[in-house]
Amino acid sequence: MRLFLLVLLFWAGALAQETAPPPDLSPEVFQIARALRCPVCQGESAAESNSGVAVEMRRLIAEMLQEGKSPEEIKAFFVERYGDWILYEPPRRGLTLWAWVLPLVALLLLGLGLFAYFRPRPLPKELLEEAERRMKEPPA
Amino acid sequence: MTPALLGNLGVSLALAFSLLGLALALLAYLQGEGRLLKGARALVLPAFLAALTAFLALEWALLTHDFTLAYVAAHHTTKDPLWVTLVTPWAALEGSILLWGLLQTFYTLLASRRLPDPWRSSLILAVLFGIQVFFFGVMATAASPFETLPNPPPDGMGPNPLLQNHWMMAVHPVLMYLGFVGFSVPFAYAVAAMATRRYQAWVGETRWWALIAWGFLTAGKVAGGWWSYEVLGWGGYWAWDPVENASFIPWLLATAFLHTAYVQETRGAFKVWNFAFVTLAFSATLLGTFLTRSGVIQSVHAFAEGPVGPIFLGGFLASLFLGLGLLYRVSREVRDAAVFRPLSREGALLLGAFFFAGWALVVLLGTLYPLLVEAVSGAKVSVGAPFFNQISAPIGVGILLLMGVGPILPWRRPRPEVFRNLYLLLAGLLLGTLFGLLRGYTLGASLAVGLFLYNALAVGLLFREGFLARKAAGLNPWGFLENRRRVGSLLVHFGVALMGLAIAFSQAYRLEAEKTLYKGQSWPVAGLTLTFQGVRALDEGRRFAVEALLRTDRFGEVRPRLHFYPQMQSPLPSPKVVYTLKDDYYFVLMDFDREKGEWASIRLILTPMVLWLWVGGGLMALGTLYILWPAGRRAEVGEVKAA
Repeated sequence: MRLFLLVLLFWAGALAQETAPPPDLSPEVFQIARALRCPVCQGESAAESNSGVAVEMRRLIAEMLQEGKSPEEIKAFFVERYGDWILYEPPRRGLTLWAWVLPLVALLLLGLGLFAYFRPRPLPKELLEEAERRMKEPPA
Repeated sequence: MTPALLGNLGVSLALAFSLLGLALALLAYLQGEGRLLKGARALVLPAFLAALTAFLALEWALLTHDFTLAYVAAHHTTKDPLWVTLVTPWAALEGSILLWGLLQTFYTLLASRRLPDPWRSSLILAVLFGIQVFFFGVMATAASPFETLPNPPPDGMGPNPLLQNHWMMAVHPVLMYLGFVGFSVPFAYAVAAMATRRYQAWVGETRWWALIAWGFLTAGKVAGGWWSYEVLGWGGYWAWDPVENASFIPWLLATAFLHTAYVQETRGAFKVWNFAFVTLAFSATLLGTFLTRSGVIQSVHAFAEGPVGPIFLGGFLASLFLGLGLLYRVSREVRDAAVFRPLSREGALLLGAFFFAGWALVVLLGTLYPLLVEAVSGAKVSVGAPFFNQISAPIGVGILLLMGVGPILPWRRPRPEVFRNLYLLLAGLLLGTLFGLLRGYTLGASLAVGLFLYNALAVGLLFREGFLARKAAGLNPWGFLENRRRVGSLLVHFGVALMGLAIAFSQAYRLEAEKTLYKGQSWPVAGLTLTFQGVRALDEGRRFAVEALLRTDRFGEVRPRLHFYPQMQSPLPSPKVVYTLKDDYYFVLMDFDREKGEWASIRLILTPMVLWLWVGGGLMALGTLYILWPAGRRAEVGEVKAA
């Protein structure tokens, strides 16, 4: 009881705790949660964040796994609610296809530039002819 | 005299001296007048002293709890321990910019002690003063650390709790800024080189600067990873968060620059690449600040948002325009006439540099992509860790492959006897990969084992050859260690190979589970057994802590904590990490029974090989130090100083 009072004193955000302790989460839950964005955080996945929404997401994932749903089905459930934005791995279609294509195109261009740089450049024709002519001439 | 007054005086004076210095240095260049250059040089020290005064004024305000300053009221509290108070100047944006400006004046001071010919000197000073004008201009207008409050509060908010949870936070930002600022000197030399059309000498003259800056950046990034691992309670060291990416991009470009600069220094080639890379590396530091401080990209680091974003974008564009504009002007003159073979040392160095630059480009695109989409169509998309990991893996493999081969290849063309070594390395790569596959590792982890063996073999071969060559020449074989650049860079490479291995394994085999335990309940997990014995509350003044007492069968008692800070809505986990040579065990207290302390929710994260990540980072820093060690410089230059 003393503990509870102290926490209340020091922590204004100590909301009334639900009596039920949090559920157990298997490693698989975290694997799925890591691929999902925490909707209310900044740059944190649903596996890392401790915000209420992320905790709830983990609980939902655990429940759905117990119901025997596959990871793909679970991700699809969250996409349905939040859109593709919830996925940390941009789907390879539509708008986010370009996220995958652009870097590849950029790297390809860099590679082509390098290839051109390394390619032996022969002497221009007129210089070559000039050099050959000089070689045939008797030394003056 | 109040801290606010003194601080404003310091900032204004630093700005005034820098402006005057910039004007004098430019005039000196245009007029060809040595006295003006002397005048500009004489202003370097006053600018530094003024910046130091401003910085000390901020420390003074913090130590005397002067809550009339907005910065102190927002980021300091009387309950802070002394060390937190001392590092509070870089706990938020305004103070960070002040520290950045102070370090810039310090580097300018150091750089001005040894300057080349007057023509280039005046331009170098002009660029450095220009950068100072930019930073102190920001402080004098958009982000002043010495804003005062009309009604000062009796006590302040205190720094962001995340920053006071670990001593590393005192070190990480300073290391990063030392690295960022360090690239201003090679950049200034490069600008001067292009403007005066003397393209060769600057690379050798700034070699130490580039290496020191790179060493600080590397140490800063590793320190940041360690902080993230020990404090944030998610058991990771790298999240591909926009802010991490923003500081990773300059590091990648700086690494590319180091490798091509080495070629120009020894062979006079790759001038174009060096001018380009040094400009990009320096500009990227400003771009990173723009991305992280303007709030354009929301991320966990975006503590502070203010009007500084657009200013930094302007600074980024200005430096980019200056460097690349000059390069465009002289591009015909700095072209490489010779033809290079990919299978030569310079070929491998250039390829490696391009891998680094390409990686920087890819990271930049991935970081900016959500921003671009939102700007164009208003749609929200996420580009996160899974994307960056998939794109980076092949690039990392390419870099690790080149790293082993590059130092073994001779300049210009491979000699036949080199191929024997290359086949040996290839055999190591295949053997290591096969060994991994037979042990049942994933393909990526097996490849990492192969690459580590391959790189370790390459380092071993080079040491052997260094010793044998000296022996054959009748010299002391241990003299090879005098070749500091060679030995130090091999040490750095070995550190990178070790990190590659650690990253591959920690990414591939991470086990994470969470369970609610009642008093006395045991949990067999990841090869150990945890028993929960209860929770304990501690009052630490500035914060309130709850720790769970866990008994483990392998490591005795472990006590992960939750910290409750008055200025935070939710508690901050303070995990306990047990490092072992093979695996890290990471214990986090997630939640506990607030009424009776009957149960606690514990998360256990097992990550293999993380310890070796820090060892690898340490080796990289050691290798850099080894190259920089002063005795080696004299031995290498072999100069006899005229008395």
